[in-house]
Parts: sequence; structure tokens; C-alpha cells
Amino acid sequence: MTADILKITDLSIHYDTPRGALKALRHVNVSVPRGKIVGVVGESGCGKSTLISTIIRLLANNAKVASGSIVFDDQDLLALSETQMRGLRGTDISMVFQDPMQTHNPVLTIGRQMTDIQYRDKSTTAEKRNRAADMLALVGIPDPVQRLDQFPHEFSGGMRQRIAIAMALMARPKLLIADEPTTALDATLEVQIIKRLHELQAEIGCSILFISHHLGVIAELCEEVVVMYAGEVVEQGSVRDVFHSPSHPYTKALLDCDPGHIKEKTRSLPTIPGEIPDLVNLPAGCAFAPRCSQVFDACRSNRPAWNECKPGHHALCHLAETETVS
Amino acid sequence: MAITETKSDSFKTRGEFAEVLHHLVRDPLGLTGLIIVSLIFTAAIFADWIVPYDPIALNIKDRMQGPSMNHLMGTDQLGRDTLSRVIMGGRIALQVALPTIGGAITIGVLLGMIAGFGPRWLDNLIILFFDTVRSFPTVMFALAVVALVGPSLTTVIFVIMMTSIPTYGRVVRTQTLTLRNSEFILAERSMGASVGRILAVHILPNVLGPLAVLAAMDIPTVVGLEAGLSFLGMGVKPPTPSWGSILNDGYSLIRNTPWIIIAGGVPLILTTLGFTFLGEALRDVVDPKLRGRR
Repeated sequence: MTADILKITDLSIHYDTPRGALKALRHVNVSVPRGKIVGVVGESGCGKSTLISTIIRLLANNAKVASGSIVFDDQDLLALSETQMRGLRGTDISMVFQDPMQTHNPVLTIGRQMTDIQYRDKSTTAEKRNRAADMLALVGIPDPVQRLDQFPHEFSGGMRQRIAIAMALMARPKLLIADEPTTALDATLEVQIIKRLHELQAEIGCSILFISHHLGVIAELCEEVVVMYAGEVVEQGSVRDVFHSPSHPYTKALLDCDPGHIKEKTRSLPTIPGEIPDLVNLPAGCAFAPRCSQVFDACRSNRPAWNECKPGHHALCHLAETETVS
Repeated sequence: MAITETKSDSFKTRGEFAEVLHHLVRDPLGLTGLIIVSLIFTAAIFADWIVPYDPIALNIKDRMQGPSMNHLMGTDQLGRDTLSRVIMGGRIALQVALPTIGGAITIGVLLGMIAGFGPRWLDNLIILFFDTVRSFPTVMFALAVVALVGPSLTTVIFVIMMTSIPTYGRVVRTQTLTLRNSEFILAERSMGASVGRILAVHILPNVLGPLAVLAAMDIPTVVGLEAGLSFLGMGVKPPTPSWGSILNDGYSLIRNTPWIIIAGGVPLILTTLGFTFLGEALRDVVDPKLRGRR
């Protein structure tokens, strides 16, 4: 048994487009240790969604795995058959989606949906229903037994997201993938959901891969953080290391843009100038070079290496290299 | 599917059917429709006991009589009691309508879901089939089939079923297409649901509501078609009473005995109205998008 429940090595995903191969993910390395919560941050279009669709193998038809492997619990997910993969989904790997308003079937009661996902189980309907009610109680839904008979539209957004979490955790998975589960909720609910997720994780002992835009949430919930930019992982390390001493200029810029970090009164919020490079025709060197404030000659010609800044803290940057040398 | 249906029913404090019925009765239009439809069904089921005379027994002595206490709707040119023929004709009409619509829905749902969820080439193939069937006018198609196998009730059922399949199939296909990319289907797939499970448990209940409405509104069309085909002599064979053949008989005698054509036409109009009312009321009750308002 390896220490990592999920180990993604050198993963590249290309989408076939009329303009050519869109390199959505390039040589991505991510590892999720057992029983830990790992956060993934990055702006829209940086490949977060492609990454999770690849892990659960629900990629779009025009996507191709160009290289790499995904090892989950000592088996290569990319080598599994569709049937084997389906056996893992919902039992060992589960997912919570972004929009709680759309994640349930509108014409079936919550109870019906929650018993239905236990179809692999041989127990009676009453037992499954009891388990569903227990799960609802666990995520903090009052009167769970009565509420099983209600339709999704009779619940609020926050409750629906709790139900989605209850459904995802029903089979006590080893890995929970949460795709921006709090983005569609307001700040108060966000705190509640995060707290609940933390408690549940401790109780069930699963690992969580938590995708978010929100740096504050990542800092609060996660132990490790992965920063993605334009289809690459640019930095990975413990939350403390990455947030307090970021090695990659993109991470630094991202932290500077977080409104929570701004101390002085200002009329305009800081931004990172420029935009994400074209993923079909990539620049020769570092993908972040055109927007980087500390760019130098090597950045424009050579692709940076995956440098270790300190044990467990890596960055994809030429600067990290010089730092370790000096 | 039957198993999962009963499972879900046991969950509810008040059954889905009772719920729908409750809302239907409150709507005046729905109530009217429900009463007319139940009357038609009752008359058709208990026709053997209700009819005052044998609908095919000839009675030349009493032919072409006007409405009277003996014959409430008069008699036709062969002395057959029109009321008895109308009641028996209702049975024929439902005998055609129910299997036709049942069959058309079953095949339409299957093809529609396959077209909507399957690969693009299969979708194109099924749509091509739908368009081919639809491009024939129903009566032309019926004429061709009758010329091949001869007129009979089975022929009528077959022809109307074939021509109704595309209507249901297209509705189901469109619904499936919009649902297949929705987040809850993705969520189900991420929970390890197979294609069959997604179709049966998640897509089917979403398309059944609109389909039930469509079916209720389609029944009068089918009854009308059967009457039309029988009127043209392509439907049920002469001694068997059907609303179409009653109309046909009445048409040729319209100057002498106008009540026959009225007797054949009024139930047709009533059926159309009853099922349409019921269908429209059903749509308001069953449609999941209007659910929140109840």
C-alpha cells in the first residue's frame, strides 16, 4: 500500500479541435496522500475540470490521453476497462459538483435517488432507506426521514449541496472529488459546508481533492495545495509553504489578487495583466512568461523543470532552480 | 422498471396516482374530462349488458325509424338499433385506440431514448426512419397496407401505430438530448450508473409526464382515424359496428334519417373533447416544471 491514494504522473490530455490539438493538460503531477485534503486552485480554463474528468474517466469524446498515468489505490485508472471503472465510481471515488440546483433529478424524490445509488447493495429497500436517512442526518438535514419523501425543489441550495455530499459519501469512498462545491453558495453557507466536510472527512477517513477559486477556503480546509496555470501544475506543497512563501510568480500574483490579502484602501482591485496563452500554439518556454513580472531570458526559450524548493514543496519555475542553487 | 416503480410507491405517504387525481378533480376542465372519459370506458367495458338490442341483429320491419322510446336513437336502413351500435362502436374505438397508443408509446420511447442517448449515426438512422414514416399521408399508407393484406381491425391498429410512433419518438428524443448533458446525469455517471440505469431510472420518469399528456390528446386523433378508415371501408368489416361505419351508413341516408349521422358523430366529438380536456389538465398536474406551483 502506497502512501498516496491518488498519484498522477506526467499526465497530458489533448482535445481534438479544428485548429489542432488543444493541450489542456501538460505533464501534470499531482499526488493526494491517504486521509489528507488537497486543494486545487487556478483561474478558469486552467484545466481543473479536465483533470477531474480524467480521474473519473468521464472525458469528452474528443479528448485524448497523450501521456501519463493515474494510479489510484495501486491500480492504474487509465488501464481499467469501462466496467471496472464504473465499479469504482460511487464506491471508491465519488464526486460533488458545483451547482447544487442541478445535481439532482428533478422528478424523483430525494429518498428514491438516495436508495437508487445503493443499487450495488443487496440489502432491502427499508435498510437502504434507513441508511439514506442516517446520511442525511450526518450532513445536518433536520427531520431526515420526512424529508426523504420530498423532491429536490423543496430544498434550499445549501441543503441540496449537503444532500449531494451525503450521496457522495454514502459508500464511504476512499477519495472524494469536490468540484467547487461552495462556489454557488453564499459566504455563510460556504463556511458551514466546509466545516461539515472537514468533520466528515475526519470521521470517514477519506481523502479529498478539493477544487476551488477561493483561496481562503483552500487555506482553511486543505493540508496541501496544488496551483494550476494554463494546463500545468505550477506549484504544489503544504498550504503553509505555498501560501506563506510562494515560489512561483503566478502563485504570488494570485495571492496578491485575493481581496482578503489587501491591507490598504484601494479604488481598484489588483489583477494579473495579460491572458492565458493559446493552448493550441503554446509559447516555447514557460507558459506564464508573457505575464510574469520576474521574467528573464531563459523563461522565453526553455521549459522550466519541476524544482524542489524544500522537501514536499515543488514549483515549475526557473527561479526556484536558482533559489535551490544559491 | 415495474419493480422500481412499486418500490418508489411504497415510499410515499400519499401515492403519486392519488396526488395526480386529487389535483385533477379540483380543475373543472380536468373533472369534465375525467367524467366523460370514465363514461366512455364504462360504456365500452359493460357494453354487452347496456345495449338494449343486439347491435347486428336485423329487423327489417322497424327499419329507418326516428328516435322513439323503443329505439332512443332510431334505427338504420336494416332496422338495427343505432344506440346499441354506438355503444358497441365505442368499444371498437377503444379497442383500436388503446393498443395503438400503448404500442406507439413503447416503441416510440425506446427508439427516442436510443436516438437521444446513442451515437450520432444511430440518431440519424432513427430520425430517417421517423421522417420516412411521417412523409406518407396516413390514409395513403393505410390504402397500401389494406391493398396488401385486406381490411381488418388489426390492419387499422398496425397502420395507426406505425404513423404515431414518430410523434412520440421525436418528443422523447428531444427530451433525452436536453437531459443527457445535464449535471444530474453527469452526477449519476460519476456515481457509477450504467447507461441502462440512467435511461430507465433517470431519463424515463422525466419524459413520461409530457408523454402521458401527448397520449391523452392523441386518443381522439386515433379514434377519428379509425372512424375515417372505417368510413372509407378500409377499417372494420361491415356487420361490426364502429363509429366510422355508423357515419358511413348515416351519410348515404342523410335525407331520410339524419339522426344516424348525429348519433355517430356526437360520441366522436365527446371523446375528442373528453380526452383533450383530460390531457390538458394532466399536463398542468404532471409536468415536473410546474411542480413547484402545486
